[in-house]
Amino acid sequence: MKPPPFGYTRPRSLDEALATLSTHGPDARPLAGGQSLIPLLNLRLARPSLLVDLAFIPGLADVQAENGTVVLGAMVRQRAVERDALIAQRVPLLAEATRLVGHPPIRNRGTVGGSLAHADPSAEYPAIALALDAELVVRSASGERVVPARDFFVDLFTTALAPGELLTAVRIPVPPPGTGWAIQEIARRHGDFALAGAAVLLRKTGDGTCEHAAIALFGVATRPLRVTAAEHALTGQPLTAESIREAAALAVEAIDEPLSDVHGSAAYRQRMAEVVARRALEEANRRAGT
Amino acid sequence: MTLQVLPRGKWLGARVKRVEDPRLLTGEAKYLADITLPGTVHVAFVRSPHGHARIRRIDTAAAKEMPGVLAVFTADDVAPLPPLASGLPVEGLKPTPQPVLAREKVRFVGEAVAAVVAESRYLAEDAAEQVTVDYEPLPAVVDAERAMQPDAPILHEELGSNIVYQKTTTLGDIEGAFAQADHVFRRRLHTNRFVAAPMETRGCISVYERASGHLTFYASTQMPHMLRLFLALFLGIPEHKVRVISPEVGGGFGQKMTIYPEEVVVAYLGKVLGRPVKWVEDRRENLAAATHAKEQIIELEAAVRSDGRILGLKARLIGDGGAYSFNTASALIEPLAGAALIPGVYDIQHYQHEVIAVCTNKSPVGAYRAVGWTAAQTARELFFDEIARDLGLDPAELRRRNVVSPEQFPYTTCTGMVYDSGTYRESLERALELVGYEELRRRQAELRQQGRYLGVGISLYVEPTAWGSEIALQAGFPFPSHDNATVTIDPSGKVRVAVSVHSHGQGHETTLAQVAAEILGVSIEDVVVEHGDTDRAPWGMGTYASRSAVIGGGMVALAAQEVRQKVLRVASRLLEVAPEDLDIQDGTVFVKGAPDRSLSMFQVAFAAYLDNRVRAEGEEPLLSATKFYDPRATYSNGCIVTVCEVDVETGLVRLDRVVAVEDCGTMLNPMIVEGQVMGAIAQGIGGALYEQMAYDEGGQLMTDTFVNYLLPGAAEVPPLTIEHLESPSPVTIGGIKGIGEGGLLATPASVAGAVLDALAPFDARIERLPLTPERIVEAVGHS
Amino acid sequence: MARVSIGLTVNGQAVSAEVEPRVTLADFLRDELGLTGTKLGCEHGVCGACTVLVDGAAVRSCLMLAVQAEGADVLTIEGLSHNGLHPVQEAFWEHHGLQCGFCTPGMVLTAYAFLQERPDPSDEEIREALAGNLCRCTGYQNIVAAVRAAAGKLAAAS
Repeated sequence: MKPPPFGYTRPRSLDEALATLSTHGPDARPLAGGQSLIPLLNLRLARPSLLVDLAFIPGLADVQAENGTVVLGAMVRQRAVERDALIAQRVPLLAEATRLVGHPPIRNRGTVGGSLAHADPSAEYPAIALALDAELVVRSASGERVVPARDFFVDLFTTALAPGELLTAVRIPVPPPGTGWAIQEIARRHGDFALAGAAVLLRKTGDGTCEHAAIALFGVATRPLRVTAAEHALTGQPLTAESIREAAALAVEAIDEPLSDVHGSAAYRQRMAEVVARRALEEANRRAGT
Repeated sequence: MTLQVLPRGKWLGARVKRVEDPRLLTGEAKYLADITLPGTVHVAFVRSPHGHARIRRIDTAAAKEMPGVLAVFTADDVAPLPPLASGLPVEGLKPTPQPVLAREKVRFVGEAVAAVVAESRYLAEDAAEQVTVDYEPLPAVVDAERAMQPDAPILHEELGSNIVYQKTTTLGDIEGAFAQADHVFRRRLHTNRFVAAPMETRGCISVYERASGHLTFYASTQMPHMLRLFLALFLGIPEHKVRVISPEVGGGFGQKMTIYPEEVVVAYLGKVLGRPVKWVEDRRENLAAATHAKEQIIELEAAVRSDGRILGLKARLIGDGGAYSFNTASALIEPLAGAALIPGVYDIQHYQHEVIAVCTNKSPVGAYRAVGWTAAQTARELFFDEIARDLGLDPAELRRRNVVSPEQFPYTTCTGMVYDSGTYRESLERALELVGYEELRRRQAELRQQGRYLGVGISLYVEPTAWGSEIALQAGFPFPSHDNATVTIDPSGKVRVAVSVHSHGQGHETTLAQVAAEILGVSIEDVVVEHGDTDRAPWGMGTYASRSAVIGGGMVALAAQEVRQKVLRVASRLLEVAPEDLDIQDGTVFVKGAPDRSLSMFQVAFAAYLDNRVRAEGEEPLLSATKFYDPRATYSNGCIVTVCEVDVETGLVRLDRVVAVEDCGTMLNPMIVEGQVMGAIAQGIGGALYEQMAYDEGGQLMTDTFVNYLLPGAAEVPPLTIEHLESPSPVTIGGIKGIGEGGLLATPASVAGAVLDALAPFDARIERLPLTPERIVEAVGHS
Repeated sequence: MARVSIGLTVNGQAVSAEVEPRVTLADFLRDELGLTGTKLGCEHGVCGACTVLVDGAAVRSCLMLAVQAEGADVLTIEGLSHNGLHPVQEAFWEHHGLQCGFCTPGMVLTAYAFLQERPDPSDEEIREALAGNLCRCTGYQNIVAAVRAAAGKLAAAS
């Protein structure tokens, strides 16, 4: 189980990396932490001609707070996210979700950008980005564009990134104080990819009326999904066990292209989507202040 | 028998730290992959992507042109090598010889079709991709019952059927038992195909010296001498010119007791190419092509009295043998061994079983810890749980009413096993006490009111151990037994113990040294245990089937005892006292009652070798003895109780704890016994909840990585409580019984039983393992 | 493919080499440097047998290319102790935390890295920290006991 041959380059600046990617076209692949790409190489399921290592580019691994937004560079390691005091305080959902990503040795290498760009439908980060209405900063030799998370995840392992484009950062709007949050997932073993997962943000008024709901599912379809029908159903309604149950029941309908594998059939995952959505809503509701 | 009771002093029975550990802890130990000889070239196998296909043509031209490639071999290039076939013919078992490289047809995904040799494994894999095989895909059959149907695709056309063995045996008065029954119950269980998956995969290195015609073969194997014999026969090299070295081995669990096609091919490549040829199996190959295990379809029918007494049992066991039944008669071993153990610890004298072995388009089946017994135990214990539920009896009570009682020993089962001694009932009571059974039942009722589902599973087992020839016969699988130990004291007084049993994690270098040290009266630091090299170890069959503590311990005891007598004889001449008046402790031979009249072991040994004055006429001066031991049959036993909670909405199971009470007779080293039990329990948890080799209808393997084939990790295995009962065997040296397999024999039943107990309010019935979250949710939903 | 120059520190020694880009760090350590204490159990990042420390953090050396280790400080099992056993190794020995030994180097290094950042862990935290290292022999219980004991040894020593 050895990787096929490929070239390797170690650009020292973003511009150099972008120029290389643009010159080599789709056969060149950016290498971030490698925790998804290298297994695929070892299994010879990926065959790039050139790997462009992003680890030596200065400035891609910073965590910054700027007016109501936390900005994470694409090369921020997942372990750094897990340990970052600023993130723990302002975006606790992200910190919690990170602890569900693989195991510590994986998170020591794995990056924020790598996970988002890999777009595994069972991974936590894409769903978190979706729930948080994050914006993805994309650069290419010809300039920069910003893609909302809801437009970024297109299909199984497929994003809106065009050849030559590189995800350089993710901007996360800090949820207002009092926002309830939760992430729930069903996995076969500790650290495994989710068979069904839900990430939720909730805000409510003093009388318990839902002001804002964001529900993102992962592990159930070919890409992470927002359950907008449930969000609409809840918004403006009192948050009760009943309304939460009804909203969660709408999760199933959001699943257009269900996933299925040896660990769980489409039917099981669909059924579990409702369970994790309900449990996450209940937990977020408990956490939500008024 | 002179050694019915072994001396227990400083070493025997003590929790001695393992002597092998420092080299393992520091990374100094050399496993197969760590050995690289000058000039080594590397093999990658081209393997079948189809479950069943005809090979039309193989084109190796492009591969041969690839950089660094020395050779590409296909079936035609290894024509002199005979196919692997059952070395021990079993009456009624049809032969299904397996070519060492596929010829004409492939019959499972992962079957080796060609071997590429290159300067590195990287280059070999590059070239393997360039071998083009033109396949004509054939319909595959992956279900054993489907394979039995007349219109099923046939794997071995010359047999005309996929059924390679079918036999019904009736013991006692089965019709009478059913005629007397108040109730007749039935249950079917299709156990999962799971695998040993040792952390170290298979591998071998073939080094052939053309001038001398010597083959040195390094292999990660449990049976070096057997491998030497078969390599000699397959390759036509005289046996005395073949040396097999099994270096540090990273786990076997039965998977490495088979002679594999790859080993024969690599040995041959080394002979033909004249350079060291190395193959290290990767994990994908290991999961696809190393032997699978434990899949059976078992149907049980019980004649039961209203009070819960089981009067008779009928069983039908279908072994899903995979594509070939090769040198351990592997397709048959699962159902045949299983059938013999269906009655288990229970006093059931009327029993009928039908054993069927079937070929399917899956990897061949081989031994994996408690071969055959895991499936049988799981099917019977889950069945008994169900009978208890249906009769409104506590499952523990049902077991009490049927278990063999202490006064019945020696107890002969209807299948012909002779249970020598044990604590069958006591282990049940003790395990229930340890787990707090009564309190758990109260708690269970309380939690159910809150919509929470706690479960308790009980698995009461007997484990045939000490695979000598007698137990093999009793367990229904006639298999020879021949093992030897050589104990030698060298002139400086240090002790070498060379044994034919092989250690790949079991710690023989410690336990067998404990035996020798205790008998010889020396420190364990003055003893070294050698194994795994056919040039250094005496002949024997190696390690499998919980045999090494009994056979290894017994033969070392016998040899050490003889050497001790020699030492005493020599010392008696030096000290001028009778040998009976001497004792040895801490490396000093002394006169009993006059400890100042003494000699060091060094003085005695030196004199024995080099001072002809102490040598009696005709006496062999060497302080060495080689002893053989083929033990009588002996049986370990125990009870494993699992406590779990099931989330009935998601199907997730949280194991709370596992309690194991085991009885393996006299323990050489309780620490090692506990390690064996705990490791086997973890494997059983894997088998009950996580592990399954899955094939799709077309014969495609869905689980060829550790992403899809799930081994339990530290977070999945709960705290384990082990307690020992010790009823020494009356029939073995020292009363030792084996301990290797009980944990995996009994745990799947215990864990699955706990889950089903939790689901009792839903009357959940499950026919297939493992209990995945999806299966649990379905079972709850169908209530 | 063109070889790439790398310079790194392994077990305190400066190392420079020309490597093919596709060579994993694990194969580099084993085949080029002869440090075969690092084991390969799956080569796709699940089993943890190949765990080494890179700049103090436990990583899978099968999921890292040697070229990515440019400038890094790598610690393998061979570098954990120079005289005798490290307290973590001692604890594994005393608590029978290993049988066949194949997962042991990765297990020991994972435990070592974990205890650096969490010197007084609960059993549950230990199990979680080791959850990505598979062992087929021990059932983990003695490994957990060993890590707990190692924490005590390290605390006593500091």
